[in-house]
Amino acid sequence: MTAAGTPGAGLVARGVVRRFGGIAAVDGVDLDAPIGRITALIGPNGAGKSTLFDCLAGAARPDAGQVLLAGRDITRLPDHARARLGLLRTFQQIAAFQGLTVAENVRVGAEQVHRGTGRGLLGLPPPGRDTARAATERALRLLDLDAVRDWPADRLPTGALRLLELARALAATPRVLLLDEPAAGLDQAQTARLGTVLRALAAEGTALLLVEHDVELVARLADAVYVMAAGRVIARGPTASVLADPRVAAAWGAT
Amino acid sequence: MGAAGLTLDLALAGLAVGSAAALSGVGLVVTYRATGVLNLAQGAQAMATAYLLRELVVVHHWPLALAAVCCLLVAAPALGVLLDLAVFRPLQRRGAGPAETMVAGIGVFVLLIGAAVLIWGTAPYGDAPPLVEGTALAQPGGHVLRLDTAVQLATVLVLATTVGLVSRYTRFGVRLRAVVDNRALAQLAGVDADRISSAGWAFGSFTAGLVGVLLAPFLLLDPYGLPLLVMETMAVAVAARLRSLPVAVVTGLALGVAQSELTRLRPAGQLLPLAQAVQTNLFVVALLVAALLPWSGGSDDTGLALPGGGRGGRGATAARTACTVLVLLPLGFHADDLRHALLVPALALVLLSVVVVTGYGGQVSLGQAGYAGLGALGTALLMSGKVPGLPALPAVPALLLAVAVTVPLGLLTGWPAIRRRGLALALVTFAVGTALSRLVFDQPYATTGLTVSRDGMPTGDRGFYTVELVLLGVGLLVVRNLHRGRLGRALTAMRDHQAGASAAGVDVPRLKLLVFMAGAGLAALGGGLMALGGQAFDPTAFDPVQGLLWFATVVVAGADSAAGAVLAAALLVGLDAGTAAGVSAVVVGALATVLGRMPGGLAGLARRAADRATVPARPGPGQEAALTPLGRRLRERIAERAP
Repeated sequence: MTAAGTPGAGLVARGVVRRFGGIAAVDGVDLDAPIGRITALIGPNGAGKSTLFDCLAGAARPDAGQVLLAGRDITRLPDHARARLGLLRTFQQIAAFQGLTVAENVRVGAEQVHRGTGRGLLGLPPPGRDTARAATERALRLLDLDAVRDWPADRLPTGALRLLELARALAATPRVLLLDEPAAGLDQAQTARLGTVLRALAAEGTALLLVEHDVELVARLADAVYVMAAGRVIARGPTASVLADPRVAAAWGAT
Repeated sequence: MGAAGLTLDLALAGLAVGSAAALSGVGLVVTYRATGVLNLAQGAQAMATAYLLRELVVVHHWPLALAAVCCLLVAAPALGVLLDLAVFRPLQRRGAGPAETMVAGIGVFVLLIGAAVLIWGTAPYGDAPPLVEGTALAQPGGHVLRLDTAVQLATVLVLATTVGLVSRYTRFGVRLRAVVDNRALAQLAGVDADRISSAGWAFGSFTAGLVGVLLAPFLLLDPYGLPLLVMETMAVAVAARLRSLPVAVVTGLALGVAQSELTRLRPAGQLLPLAQAVQTNLFVVALLVAALLPWSGGSDDTGLALPGGGRGGRGATAARTACTVLVLLPLGFHADDLRHALLVPALALVLLSVVVVTGYGGQVSLGQAGYAGLGALGTALLMSGKVPGLPALPAVPALLLAVAVTVPLGLLTGWPAIRRRGLALALVTFAVGTALSRLVFDQPYATTGLTVSRDGMPTGDRGFYTVELVLLGVGLLVVRNLHRGRLGRALTAMRDHQAGASAAGVDVPRLKLLVFMAGAGLAALGGGLMALGGQAFDPTAFDPVQGLLWFATVVVAGADSAAGAVLAAALLVGLDAGTAAGVSAVVVGALATVLGRMPGGLAGLARRAADRATVPARPGPGQEAALTPLGRRLRERIAERAP
């Protein structure tokens, strides 16, 4: 296993540009989310965080630049292919599957291999069923969703839905995890649990990148911080020093 | 007469249909701009008005002018306002999505057609009165300009110009544009959005009526032909991207003229029948092209994730038992009743194809009748030995081979579905179904000299019905496997949240192709059985209007309920055989228009009733025994704060 913090072993963005019309929402961003570390991306509204996030996750294609996962160029891959390579994401607007139970929601994340469609049509179990089951159970326990496992997802409150989305991503055993405001709508106990889980994941060798508005949470969790404003990274480095930087406070000031 | 003279004559002749199409386009665009709804029922409104005018003039001997005023200026706008008040405004109030609105529109369409069949029957009338006599108006250089054509053309231009001027220069127009931009905001600013949308519906319905009355004299008036023709002219509105009136007018006129000019093309040899098919159906081709061109409209719509569609659930066992009993019953029927019942398993398979594509996959598909027709035609062609290189096959191999060939053709609608959702996808699938019907099933080159028999299978009705049941069982097994396990979870994920499913690693494009191919196969199997049951290939059975009825039926029954589809098939066949023709369409249409108040359809109703009956057994918020850890913590905290 690669040592924690090794550059390039996690997710790397090089010169990513994404334009809408004539405006560059993301304008040449370099970013490194190494394995075993929690990296945070902060910045005022409209700074281009979400657009960058979409480019990294595969929901959007960058107009220029590269996205590398463990050294492999994934810039042209669609999002589901990235997910199968171990790059998982959560959404700012919760993306739960209303028609499935909590456990089934998590299971969807656990069982995305290409093969087995023919077997499925014949009613035979898909390959790798036991692994998927085990991963589902583990993710449910980790996020304290065991008690509601058979509930339809549409009966869960917001906070639990956020954890459900995270559980779905965890069930896929991610190498890199992209989290879009994971603490929004969580109560204190849930936020604490989230922090513990994210720390544990990093310790196990996952690379985490989170977009977060809650600077307190960032200060407590993140190893490194990138600050974006107007499509560019204006500051980067270890959390404490970046958050103390007066330029950051200036860019942040309004929000 | 020289070539140039002929060109001019054909152009003048084409203007008649062209101006009607342009008028239809103007109506659709105006309704869409005022209400945000693409009026899918327009064709049926046109048909209803044309029937009404004929009834008043031919049967009751009213003077034409009085009857026309009554139909066009009173009845048609009143129908529009009624639709707004009774169907579309409640949906808008509830914040219903485009999918529900679309289903309601199809419901109105089916309802009006059913009502027409009930009142006037399906026999075509050839005596629809023309509004304006077709006397020659002027003959510059020997070219005849008919009075009716001139009046139509003038009407279109005047209406389009008036609408354009009103929306640009009057207070009403400003309000209209405000409502279109942002309804809620416009209401806050004191605009009466309801009045605007009522006016939009009244105008749209008036133009629909005018289109119907103008077109009816050119063709035989029957409940299916005219509505479909008007729906084909949606090509004009789609080409105008539902925005531009000038584009709609120009496209309508140009298509009319082009269709007329094309009659001069006579390619030699094998191309001739195909060319003729295109010539008479240029609007179908145009609709297909316009819907397939990249279009932002509807692409960011949600899919058809109709609310209330949980998987499994209570009441399912009861529905399954009812299904089993119902499909086994006909085995004990008398010969006559059994012959009617032969249609049930076949129709059930076609409806199941809609369940798979729309209910499980969340993809709107209005073209399943086309695949059913392909299955029927394929079976017939293979049995008649019309396929080069193959001998005439017995029934079963022919049916299975036809299904196998139709499965990959599911890509015809599956491929466009990858990038389209909602309305845009609905239009493409409808266009594909219509194109198949008009360019293949209706054409002599494909359908002459076909013989369909039950050669090689039980020839008696009872034996054949048993075979049908076996095949229905196989179909149900495939459907069940699509709803369970890994495939079922992935499909439901795609239906409920496409981006989320994709991010979780679900290969959404591949899955869409899979559901459309599975749907095509099921529909083809059902269609083939229909042909074998009737021992003939009947192109009218696979009319696109039938496809709309089938789609509405499945959504009403509860889009993701396989048992519901089988029950619905039995009900459709039973209603039409046991009562008058058209009753089933009226029932389905009426239910579809109130679907907004009945989420999940009839299956949803049944599920909720079953849930209520067994409430204590089901965990839910607010019950002590089943609080989540979060709930328990919340309760503790509330208890702490309480004085």
